[in-house]
Amino acid sequence: MSTFIQLLINTLQIGAIYVLFSLGLTLVFGVMRLINFAHGEFFALTAILIAMQMGWLLPDAPFWLQYVVSFATALGVLMALSVVIYQFGLSRFLGDLSSGFIFSLGLVLMMRGLIGQIFGNYPMTAPPLVEGAIYVLGGAISTQKLLVAVLALIATGGLLYLVFRTKLGMALRAIAEDQEAAMLQGIRYKRLALYGFLIGSSLAAIAGGLIAPLQVVLPTMGGELIMKAFMIVIIGGLGSIPGAIVASFLIAALESFGSYFIDLPVVTIGVFVMVAVLLVIRPQGLLGHVVR
Amino acid sequence: MPAETQPLFAAEGITKRFGGLVAVSDVSFEISRGEILGLIGPNGAGKSTIFNLISGFYRVTRGRTVFQGQDVSSLPIWKLARIGLARTFQHDSLLKGMTVRDNILVATTQFIRNPAEREKRMSETIDIMGLGEVLDEKASNLPHGHQRILSIAIAFSGRPALLCLDEPLTGFNQTEVLGGLDIIRRLREEFATTVLIVEHNMRAVMSLCDRILVLHHGKLLGSGSPEEVQNDPAIIEAYLGKSE
Amino acid sequence: MLFDKLNLLFLATVAASVAYCLAVPGAFFVQVILWATLAATLGAGIRFVMLVGELNIGTSAFYGIGGYTAAYLTTAYGLPFGVALVAAGIAGGLVAAVFGYATMRTSGAYFMLISFAFAEIFRMLVVESDFLGGNNGIIGLFVSVEYEPYFAATVVAILATLISALAVIENSSLGKSFIAIREREEIARSVGINVLAIRVLCLVISSVVIAVAGACSGFITHLVTPNDYTFMIAVFALAYVKLGGEEHPTGPILGAILLTLAAQYLISFGAYQQVFFGTVIAVAMILLPQGITGRLRDLVRLTAKRTARDAG
Repeated sequence: MSTFIQLLINTLQIGAIYVLFSLGLTLVFGVMRLINFAHGEFFALTAILIAMQMGWLLPDAPFWLQYVVSFATALGVLMALSVVIYQFGLSRFLGDLSSGFIFSLGLVLMMRGLIGQIFGNYPMTAPPLVEGAIYVLGGAISTQKLLVAVLALIATGGLLYLVFRTKLGMALRAIAEDQEAAMLQGIRYKRLALYGFLIGSSLAAIAGGLIAPLQVVLPTMGGELIMKAFMIVIIGGLGSIPGAIVASFLIAALESFGSYFIDLPVVTIGVFVMVAVLLVIRPQGLLGHVVR
Repeated sequence: MPAETQPLFAAEGITKRFGGLVAVSDVSFEISRGEILGLIGPNGAGKSTIFNLISGFYRVTRGRTVFQGQDVSSLPIWKLARIGLARTFQHDSLLKGMTVRDNILVATTQFIRNPAEREKRMSETIDIMGLGEVLDEKASNLPHGHQRILSIAIAFSGRPALLCLDEPLTGFNQTEVLGGLDIIRRLREEFATTVLIVEHNMRAVMSLCDRILVLHHGKLLGSGSPEEVQNDPAIIEAYLGKSE
Repeated sequence: MLFDKLNLLFLATVAASVAYCLAVPGAFFVQVILWATLAATLGAGIRFVMLVGELNIGTSAFYGIGGYTAAYLTTAYGLPFGVALVAAGIAGGLVAAVFGYATMRTSGAYFMLISFAFAEIFRMLVVESDFLGGNNGIIGLFVSVEYEPYFAATVVAILATLISALAVIENSSLGKSFIAIREREEIARSVGINVLAIRVLCLVISSVVIAVAGACSGFITHLVTPNDYTFMIAVFALAYVKLGGEEHPTGPILGAILLTLAAQYLISFGAYQQVFFGTVIAVAMILLPQGITGRLRDLVRLTAKRTARDAG
């Protein structure tokens, strides 16, 4: 029972990070009709920036304050970077799926190379925010994991509120519904697409910031995550918000329960085979519509 | 039934539902060999839906479609094309980035594997359609009239038994309409092609077709020769009367 | 007419490279020629699938399947170079048929994503497979000593032939069917083309060529490791296509040669090589959307128009 609870909390924590990350990816796709491969790099860079600043920025402050301050600066850096990438690059490829994808692949190479050169290709760690564990039904749960899961779910809730309850969200959803009509709006569309891109990128950054205190921070961690996010959006259907949420927890459950009983790589390979079989039956994803 | 008396195509009580909307409801008709059949009706009457059901682009919700005695309701589009049921498209009816010759080559290649024979077939197609002058033009650079004719050429390249034309004369001037009608008549006379045509140009339809089906609200309102249709009070009220 | 000249230039380059490899088999520049040839084959292979409109990031996996098939067969069973190449091609084709049957039903974004996942899964599978040497890979792909002097020339000749074969297929009615599917799938279906089968066939042909190139890459470096076959291979291949231009088969070859030469100078920059390639891709996408060959063609057309105007 206690193992089950632990695996469940594990699912919740991994799944919440996957939700944030893949929601960002799918939101950017919905608004810009392109897949931003550098999404994973945004995730990794935020985690690296936080791990690097902690213990250096405000050495005498408590960990949580250090964390909050470095999270905020990292997020600021990422937003500035996103604006630059949008203005000089991605905005030229709106709606042009393959060119946008190739351009973002170029970005990945640039960013990976630069991150490796500037921060070094070695693992970093951020100190834990809170120590200890909570006991539920006889199972010990790391307080920190629980905290991260809760924060990620709050962020997801914030995004859902933004998308479904605000004017901006309505405009973004309208774009995702009818891309061609939106593109006719010219400048207004370009500005809205920028907002969509910034929201999507910040989700990757928040996911990276939340994961930083939990695990070893590596420059390559974005690449591993983006593959999983690709599987998630294939299962959930590109551009679908509920699809991304359901598929994220599905994959997280498979991974956390699967890796307890079998090997994690075996689970990942199994998930890939599952997705390939799914495509034979439903080429548009489990919950998706046809997208070209 | 012997092959000669059997209709080339039969729709048997076909129904198509999109969600809650019934676009075509329990429609039955036959197309005889060698016939030129017109399908008319006001916008939204279900012409396009029926057209897509016949050519395999939609699947019937109920009923079935029979081609040359075979139930083809669930056959994929490319198989339908290979057994002799071809169609044109109302919009984007060409491979725009390719030359006229390549358009016809692609359309012919699945039917004739032998390059020499294929070449022969292609020049025959090009001759009938009068596209010899523009062979090396990109399809997107052709004038509108040639584009519509090329889309007929693409569908006809496989020498289908049943050729379904979706508004082939749209945007034509009077001379072009006469030229287009002439080509369609020649397809029947020289190749015994059966033709189903959806077209808004009433005068053209009346002069071309042997028989006309009239659709209204997804149902078959009536059918008959052009004269009969033009004199049927119910049809006039539902459709022809209003458009005059 | 520009493209006819590029075809001639391609043949001349191949002939000169083969002659050079035969004349000075041990020279350093022979290695450069070999790398450029592999790069050109990768570019031509990934471009071939672009004919049906898809970006196949899984190209790197097929490259790896070729490399590992050759490595396993030569080290475990001592099969000769030629047999290893054929086996690699067959393996690449078979895997492509299965992978394509499942994934070629999708298109656009979904195919990109699943093909990228395939590239990563291939790497994971190799790392997890002890008989393929796990993270260490397989070492020891050599051609026989007496054959060594002809090895480089043979590789260039074989891969150049395969690249040409791809170009010939592109110009055949099959190749036009590929392009028709990319242009408008519904028309392709309506004229009797079995779109799924033809799309799978396109992937299979490309993957056979890519796998043979992968096998050659193993014999060139004498070892294969999972890190040699990451999705970066596909990214590089896309860089060749985008820089050279995708409209004509010689585009990716030109891109491959230029970038391979540039990389030689950049080796001294170490990790900045990656940054360089990334920058080339990003900048080329913005400044040269049609690639070098596309830009050249536009220039030639413009000059021709000007001359015609001045004359008239």
